[in-house]
Amino acid sequence: MMTQQHASTPIVEGLFEIVAGTPKLIGSQCHACNTIYFPQALSCRNPKCRDKSVEQTFLPHCGTLYSYTVQRYQPPPLFRMDHWSPYALGLVDLGKGLQVMGMLTGIKLDEIAIGMALKLVVEPLYSHADIGEKLTYKFAPAEGAGAA
Amino acid sequence: MTRSVYVLGAGAHPWGKWPDKPQLQLAHEAMNLALADASLAWPDVQGLVAASSRFEGGMGWGLHANEVVQSVAEQGIPCINVGGACAAGAVAFQTAYALIASGQHDVVAVLGAERMPKGFIPRPPGSPDDISDSDYLRWVAMGATNPAYWAIEANRRKYDFGTSDETLARATVMMRKNASGNRLARFRAATSVEEVLASPMVADPLHLLEICPVSDGAAAIILGTEKYIRKTGRKPVEVAGCAIATGQFGDPASRIPTVSTNVLPNVSHTSEVVNAVNHACEMAGIGPEDVDVLEMADNTVWHLLSWPELFGFYEHGQGDWMLDNGKLEIGGQLSVNPSGGFLSFGEATTAQAVLQICELTWQLRGDAEGHQVPDATIGMSAVLGLGANGGSVILKT
Repeated sequence: MMTQQHASTPIVEGLFEIVAGTPKLIGSQCHACNTIYFPQALSCRNPKCRDKSVEQTFLPHCGTLYSYTVQRYQPPPLFRMDHWSPYALGLVDLGKGLQVMGMLTGIKLDEIAIGMALKLVVEPLYSHADIGEKLTYKFAPAEGAGAA
Repeated sequence: MTRSVYVLGAGAHPWGKWPDKPQLQLAHEAMNLALADASLAWPDVQGLVAASSRFEGGMGWGLHANEVVQSVAEQGIPCINVGGACAAGAVAFQTAYALIASGQHDVVAVLGAERMPKGFIPRPPGSPDDISDSDYLRWVAMGATNPAYWAIEANRRKYDFGTSDETLARATVMMRKNASGNRLARFRAATSVEEVLASPMVADPLHLLEICPVSDGAAAIILGTEKYIRKTGRKPVEVAGCAIATGQFGDPASRIPTVSTNVLPNVSHTSEVVNAVNHACEMAGIGPEDVDVLEMADNTVWHLLSWPELFGFYEHGQGDWMLDNGKLEIGGQLSVNPSGGFLSFGEATTAQAVLQICELTWQLRGDAEGHQVPDATIGMSAVLGLGANGGSVILKT
């Protein structure tokens, strides 16, 4: 098939969107207690909240690195990635009491530092003639042209 | 009415890889050992509580207790099968305890038997491939393996407390040293800090020898009333406290298999286990300072450093000093995992928490040949399972 028929699509529907060129994680926010969740939640999970109704929201796209690791072994087959090599996973504090885990990009593995400022980016994970290009969200250094 | 409950017998099949023994056979062997230890036989068993596995046996529906009973002694007794992932053994114990304490039955068996598939534990079937299943998301969107979650915790500990790679490695060295005297452990060879740090890096800063592998194993416990423990004529080991708990919203732990964490101030890390430990202590009327021996789930070396701090055994960050100065070794200020722990056994998920309680029983009786904690009178177990399940049991003599 012609590759033009296969646009780039998110690895999972509803995880993120690109709004006017800027990637945004899609989450939920509670109407009553304002807690934010990622990914979108069925209900508010705060046990003290009596309302529980949530609405879709875009999450902050900048944060700081709370902690990280480098995966040296290839994950089992449900994970798919073109040109596999060891990569970093970070836990990123987005503020408002929410930490989000994701791959890190645009930085050498030995230059990653807890506390560094990060921003959300979207990059291809793998592509295939039948399904096109699959995108996932990652975090890249906020300063400089870190995002690929 | 609440009655006192005693451990009448404990038995375990050695941990390892047993390709020629089905899970059901491992279960039989553990039950036979526990029954013999209690000087009882199947006709005496009034109920069986089994930790359900998703990997093998149980007729595919987690009916492990039913399967065992039907294969050895179909006698109309209640068979209860409980979930709780890696904490299932603690949930099973709690259930059996309640059956006796409530006065409903006098002798109830607890069983966990497991054969594990090789490698990283993969996603189980049955959930939709969409954003509602975080176990799907963590694989497809970022490939986060279980060790990655623990490594993220370990790296944060290094940042917060300056924990060194050598101290992390020393936790494995201690577990292997303890295991060298335990015939049930799978990895009994001594190791060194150098050897641990030379093993392949899995997820920085955790090396292969700093993460528990998976194993096959089975353990069983027979619980009963005072009348039955008297008949055995041996030193009574009593259940002083036992509790299961789940997590608390706002817990800062990076929880498998989620891809986000809602963090609130003043909520304990690993709250499911801390809640269980606190409840068990309350029930036993003791504090951590009274505990002689702790058998805890050391999925990694990070757990060995952090969990006793989370339970209030000592201040946050003090674990490094305790470990480096030998305070956690057999006969130290707090003997942690004299068995050798998950790092020396490998995890046979649903059987693991039952094995912990077997180990405490042997320690308190003075039967822990080759790895005995001198004069142990109070022992505590602590375990964590997927789904934010926590369990803790306190035994005393």
